[in-house]
Amino acid sequence: MIWNNIKIALRNLRKNKLFATINIAGLALGLSIYIFGGLLVSYERTHDAFFDNSENIYTIGSVAAPDLNLGIDLMNAAYSAIGPIIETELPDVEAVARTITEEYLVTMGADSYYQMIRFADPDLLRIFSMQYIHGDNTALDDPSGIVISATAATKYFGTTDVLGEVVTLNNEFDYRIAAVIQDIPQNSHFNSMPVMDVVLDVIAPIKALVRMRDWDEAGGYNNLSMGNLTYVMLPSTLDGAWLQTQIDSIFERLVPDSAKETISSIFASPISHANLSIWDSLGLPIVTVVQLLSFLVLVVACVNYANLATAQALGRSREVGMRKTMGATQGQLLMQFLTESVLMASIAMIVAIAALEIIIPLFNNVANKVMTLDYMRTLPWLLVTTLLVGLCAGLYPAWLITRASPIDALRDLARKGKKGSRVRAVMIGAQFAISAFMLSIVAVVYMQNQKINESSYIFPRAEIYSLNRIGVDSIQDRLDTLRHELESLPNVDSVGWSSQVPYEQNHTTTNVTQIPGDEAGKFSIQLLRMSPEFLDTYGIPILAGRNLNRDVANDIYVDEETEVLNVLVNELTLTNLGIASPQDAINQRFFDLDEEDTLREMVIVGVVPTQNIVGLFNEEKPWMYLYRPDAFRIGSVRITGGNMLTTIEEIENVWDRVIPEYPMQGRFLDDVFDEIYNVFKFMNMTLAGFALVALSLALIGLFGLAAFMAAQRTKEIGVRKVMGASSMQIARLLVWQFSKPVAWALAIALPLAYLGSNIYLDFFAERIQSPIPILLAAGSIAVLLAWCTVAGHAVRIARSNPVLALRYE
Amino acid sequence: MLKLHDMFKVYRTDEVETVALNGVNLEIDQGDFVAVMGPSGCGKSTLLNIVGLLDNPSDGDYFFFDENVAKYSESQRSGIRKRNIGFIFQNFNLIEELNVAENIELALLYHKIPTAKRKQRVANVMDRMGIAHRAKHMPGQLSGGQQQRVAVARAVVGDQPLILADEPTGNLDSVHGQEVMELLRSLNAEGTTIVMVTHSPSHADYARRTVNLFDGHVVTDSLRAA
Repeated sequence: MIWNNIKIALRNLRKNKLFATINIAGLALGLSIYIFGGLLVSYERTHDAFFDNSENIYTIGSVAAPDLNLGIDLMNAAYSAIGPIIETELPDVEAVARTITEEYLVTMGADSYYQMIRFADPDLLRIFSMQYIHGDNTALDDPSGIVISATAATKYFGTTDVLGEVVTLNNEFDYRIAAVIQDIPQNSHFNSMPVMDVVLDVIAPIKALVRMRDWDEAGGYNNLSMGNLTYVMLPSTLDGAWLQTQIDSIFERLVPDSAKETISSIFASPISHANLSIWDSLGLPIVTVVQLLSFLVLVVACVNYANLATAQALGRSREVGMRKTMGATQGQLLMQFLTESVLMASIAMIVAIAALEIIIPLFNNVANKVMTLDYMRTLPWLLVTTLLVGLCAGLYPAWLITRASPIDALRDLARKGKKGSRVRAVMIGAQFAISAFMLSIVAVVYMQNQKINESSYIFPRAEIYSLNRIGVDSIQDRLDTLRHELESLPNVDSVGWSSQVPYEQNHTTTNVTQIPGDEAGKFSIQLLRMSPEFLDTYGIPILAGRNLNRDVANDIYVDEETEVLNVLVNELTLTNLGIASPQDAINQRFFDLDEEDTLREMVIVGVVPTQNIVGLFNEEKPWMYLYRPDAFRIGSVRITGGNMLTTIEEIENVWDRVIPEYPMQGRFLDDVFDEIYNVFKFMNMTLAGFALVALSLALIGLFGLAAFMAAQRTKEIGVRKVMGASSMQIARLLVWQFSKPVAWALAIALPLAYLGSNIYLDFFAERIQSPIPILLAAGSIAVLLAWCTVAGHAVRIARSNPVLALRYE
Repeated sequence: MLKLHDMFKVYRTDEVETVALNGVNLEIDQGDFVAVMGPSGCGKSTLLNIVGLLDNPSDGDYFFFDENVAKYSESQRSGIRKRNIGFIFQNFNLIEELNVAENIELALLYHKIPTAKRKQRVANVMDRMGIAHRAKHMPGQLSGGQQQRVAVARAVVGDQPLILADEPTGNLDSVHGQEVMELLRSLNAEGTTIVMVTHSPSHADYARRTVNLFDGHVVTDSLRAA
């Protein structure tokens, strides 16, 4: 019987090639998206599983204090003091290790490169089971030992047999290679954290930082940087809940109040979550969203199938009638139709898998991942999916067609009657609701991203070329020379040094008040350390007062000496200080609350407009601009006119002349912006991809259905034409038939899209005015597309010869 | 074999009530060959549908081998149908996707018959109907007469004692029509009971008994002189 059913199904396929192709293509598209989504989610959620004991490894993160207003809630990092405290307070813990990632100029063999180095406590190698080519997990116990990956070894030395070779950091500090490890697979948080863009190539002992820049090994509460993780390994007898209770108590008892102003608690999370922690911190649950969207696309595809199959099954009413007459029960016939839909689903699944075999390698290449379609592991899932999709998609048409009484079926009443037309309308509506929902969210996200992009042009983004890694002492001595030489280049407008450039997500803050020691009136202010030329370089106007000046003693901050400092502030600071106008602010004072600072008192000598330096999703904040040369990390060169690339070559020549021992590290300010902006762009592209697929499915479905409906009404159309209806009137009739479900689909989709897009918008401090016009526009586009799809058919049918239409039956 | 007693069939739509059968009394014995005649809309097809257990009467009794089936559910009727009744339609109702042999086999598919035996019976009936050489053809490749032969083969392959034919020759030219009638006559000669609806008096002449319907009543019921 089954074999017979399959045979009929195959012949039916061959007979209705167009429907079959549309059906299978739609299902295959839906299935490939769904499987791809599923694989991606499982890939992202099973990171780091290859390490022994991975289920016992946790990272310690921090919850940002609510009034910090960072736009970020969860940070995957902890203060460097937390790790050692856990180690002493919790003797049951197997091992604790902190990591700090910094970039250094590394000389190995003949070559020098800037290289991201992970400085780590020695126990890192006991927590993570690395594959050693040479050396072992004691490599970091030696404060001058260094661990490098096979790739790094090959890159620098051309071989992995490099044990004992000397490695020099920043031309000054020598280390020896104590171990060579196999590259850590790509599906580890070490290599695949989004935005961070760091690969684990070189690990150095944390003691090296102590030696090179007086880093406090006991750790402190000054610096919290995303990506600097603290790892804890538990014995298998203890679990995450236990660890959480313990660190809650540690936070309560041992973390100083000053640190609690920045973070409100610390949390333990399993290592398998580490690679997704950036998304968690942004509050954008991308993995869940991908899962949901890929499921919705599959639903659209199934509904699409059900819809077309219903239309088509009605054409087989006579066959069903005949079978019933001969004694087939509804159960047997259901079986037949379900066999058919499961067969279709199986063909679609094979097509989908074939497509994925092509797509996954391409995606891996672009996204730098190592996803695989592991048939052994996924086979049960694929089979169950095929079966469920086949059954879900096929059940309604099968039920509808087989429930008619044999006489009705033989007379083909089902085809002519209104039976099921409401359900079909609901199905079209549902498909359309889902695609309109996605499309409108995409539109809102796109417009919001545009807004962010446009706002960033308050600074001359395209004209700035930044020079990184100027924070080394030996370079800082020569910054003045470098600036003079660069400014003498024909196309260089001005050169400014600073602690950060716009769009970098750094927040250095201090608490200040109008009256000394007034805790109640305090507010948090952001610090930008800069040279006076910075304002020129970025075209920041001075609203009142003057710029900072090298020749005025109180304008320059000297560490541990300056007690009273002249500064510039932005207008928002004035609001916080209760000063009415920029002019009134000049010579006004405010005070630092941090008693450990030597600097206690600030004098306002100039006021600049409120501009969002960190930009992107952050809100505008009070800023204070001070001249502090030892905090310069980065230079900004403004290039106007001339050929950008030639000018950069000239800049590099100057650099090589002034600072020959360090290679220049420059990049465009646009790239700094894009680094974060790309996250939002990526989200938009992902959403757009899903929306596009859902919409095309809905349109394909509509097209097929319109074709079917038109065929069904051929006789009616013929009669109407004989009675004198114009082609236009006929076309309108057919188009209106589909407009009702599409209209109510919009009525459901748009409010949901409004709620959905607000989740995204909430993340941004500066928002588009209202998403409603955008939602309406996106909705109209969806309707328009639907109309065009149906109208194409309607017009052709309407134009046909009425006699032909009548003869059809 | 069949006994219809005071049978009514009323079709109701929202406003109109149509009486298709209006107190029909009819008895058909085993081995009968009955032609049902009458003008369009007189209730011929309705009668055939009820006799064939495709539909229930609105009122009255229907004894099928002494069993009153008038109130049976579709699944009960379905069971009786597949064991006892073969159908032949004016428009053949062959399944386009299946070839001749498979179409015939369809009638056995819903019985519990082993595959080999099924194939054997199909082959036998095709021989009998003279269509064995067409076994692998699709219905679309056959003439109307050949298609109706296939339909007849399908109706009898299950050894059903009763065959209901709804204008079996309506779509055929006279030559092919006669062929089909001959076929039915020989089936009847072998003992199969046949009830046939027809418009053609000459084809009705093949039957041994003619029932004339008018407005839902049996107006004449005559045995043809042997």
